[in-house]
Amino acid sequence: MRSYKVCYLGHDREVVLALERALSGTNMKFMSAFPDGEGVNQALEFGVDIILWDKDNTPLDEPVPIERIRKMGFASQPIMVVVSEGDSESAIKSLAAGASDFIYKPIKANPLPRIIAGLNVGQHQKRVGYYVRMLEEANEGIKTILASLKDPAYIVSPEYQILYMNPAAEEIFGEGLRGGACYQVFYDRIEPCDVCRKGSGSARWRSVLKNGKTYRFISVMVKNPRGEIQKLAVGVDVTPGEEVKKIHQTFISNVSHDLRTPLAAIDQYVSILRDGLGGELSEEQVKYLDIIRKNSFRLRNLIENLIDANNILSGKFKMKMEVMNLKDIVKIVESQLEEQARGKGITFGVQVPDDLPPIYADASRIAQVIANLAGNSIKFTEQGVVQIRAGFMPRDEGRIIVSVEDSGIGIPREDLGKIFDLFYRVESDKVYVEEGAGLGLSISREIVRAHGGTLWVESMEGMGSAFHFALPVYKSKQVASQTPGERQGTGG
Amino acid sequence: MNSETESEKKSPLILVADDDRDLVFALSLRLRSMGYRVIEATDGEDAFQKTKEYKPDLVILDVRMPSGGGFSSLERMKHSLYTRTIPVIFLTAFEDEEMREEARLMGAKGFFRKPFDDEEFMSAIENLVGSPR
Repeated sequence: MRSYKVCYLGHDREVVLALERALSGTNMKFMSAFPDGEGVNQALEFGVDIILWDKDNTPLDEPVPIERIRKMGFASQPIMVVVSEGDSESAIKSLAAGASDFIYKPIKANPLPRIIAGLNVGQHQKRVGYYVRMLEEANEGIKTILASLKDPAYIVSPEYQILYMNPAAEEIFGEGLRGGACYQVFYDRIEPCDVCRKGSGSARWRSVLKNGKTYRFISVMVKNPRGEIQKLAVGVDVTPGEEVKKIHQTFISNVSHDLRTPLAAIDQYVSILRDGLGGELSEEQVKYLDIIRKNSFRLRNLIENLIDANNILSGKFKMKMEVMNLKDIVKIVESQLEEQARGKGITFGVQVPDDLPPIYADASRIAQVIANLAGNSIKFTEQGVVQIRAGFMPRDEGRIIVSVEDSGIGIPREDLGKIFDLFYRVESDKVYVEEGAGLGLSISREIVRAHGGTLWVESMEGMGSAFHFALPVYKSKQVASQTPGERQGTGG
Repeated sequence: MNSETESEKKSPLILVADDDRDLVFALSLRLRSMGYRVIEATDGEDAFQKTKEYKPDLVILDVRMPSGGGFSSLERMKHSLYTRTIPVIFLTAFEDEEMREEARLMGAKGFFRKPFDDEEFMSAIENLVGSPR
């Protein structure tokens, strides 16, 4: 049977004698020492299982320094405090500070049962300590696994604070970001993402990260060794491979070629009829021909978009980069959008401050993005407001955030992660949309990305949508590092 | 072509070559209605042979055609003393900036993507061969 070692640290001779008496005849070994460096060393060499600390070692009005005693080397042993009889205040304070028990001095009753009970607490603490160590080791093990992943993984607190990022995540977002808010650092948002704000437990989402790749994320709630809830998120790269992309691009190229050829003939025959080369036409026949022409024009626009998307996705498009003010870019499309909104009886507003820092951008491309987003908003809003707003965010050397907000039908939650996919269209009973092929948002996102920015959406079905994009502000070094006035699109 | 009148003969002669017969017919009809004389071809070989034979004032070539596309027809034209100065306009349904640049380097006078803007197309023709008489 194991022999337990008991140590009294203090100066009270009477206590020493009483403890010696109580423990003689048991299988416990006893020692006493002064509470100085030498005494502590002796107790440590002794291999003590329980400490009895005299309250008189500490000044009268100070509590027993349990933390300091632990740091002396008694990290896991139970500490019993020996207090003068009646000093229940010190006894309670010591217990509150982490002492396992106390006994009164002068020692009158046999302290053995209290010491055995204290040792029992010590055993329990050791077991707890063992489990904590096991958990810590398991936690370290998890982090080792996360560190070896080629895809990003991170752990955040319930307050959205980044606690851990694996090396793959650090490679994408940068190092030294722990402590930052995950929604800002990872997703360029000013508030937590819906998936975290509304959901509890595990979640899944897709996201295009700053490296331009698409990831499918899964998150689970985990408990750390201290029992605190944290969220672990692991991403898997689901960016289409080069081969798939190439097939996709060749397909689009061939299809658009085959669509254009008959369209050219249709246009010509409409002109022939319209010019009266096929005989005189009635007023009604002219009206029908104009409808054919209008639809042929729509089809032509669709093909142009298809080709645009293809060029952008294959990295073929070139941008004419200039130092620009956002306000001037918005002006390019403002009147056209205003007219569209007026046609539907919707209020249209633009709020772009005059003092925004300039951006380095292809004005026509950014105008295309704004027209696209606002055009969508107008299309999906039956009454209320469509608004373009812009503001400056100083983070990451400064970004301009452009928001297009509407009070329209919103986007169903299950579609939110997919609307930027090529050819994706939200199917809804509530709206019949006759135009659009699911290209505009993909094109817009690629354009924003080619500018070093990000595009994201917030929406609630029935409430409206808000599309935001962030563009880095102009830094003079940008021009120096690129071909003057031109920048190759990065593609997807 | 055999029934052309004296006045028509004075009008510029345009060769339209495209494997889309419907488009060739439509373009011919419209150009003729404007007063131009037109000959037609529906493949690259036919286009080159007719260019040699009729020496038109302008050749409109589709880029992709059977038995030699527009580019190869133009290359053959450039090698022949009798055809090398005849202006050429390309038509294509392909969207390719490199193709446009290659056409320019080969000496093409125009490059139109189908479906093309009618006014722009007709005015390019008029700029190259003049108004029909």
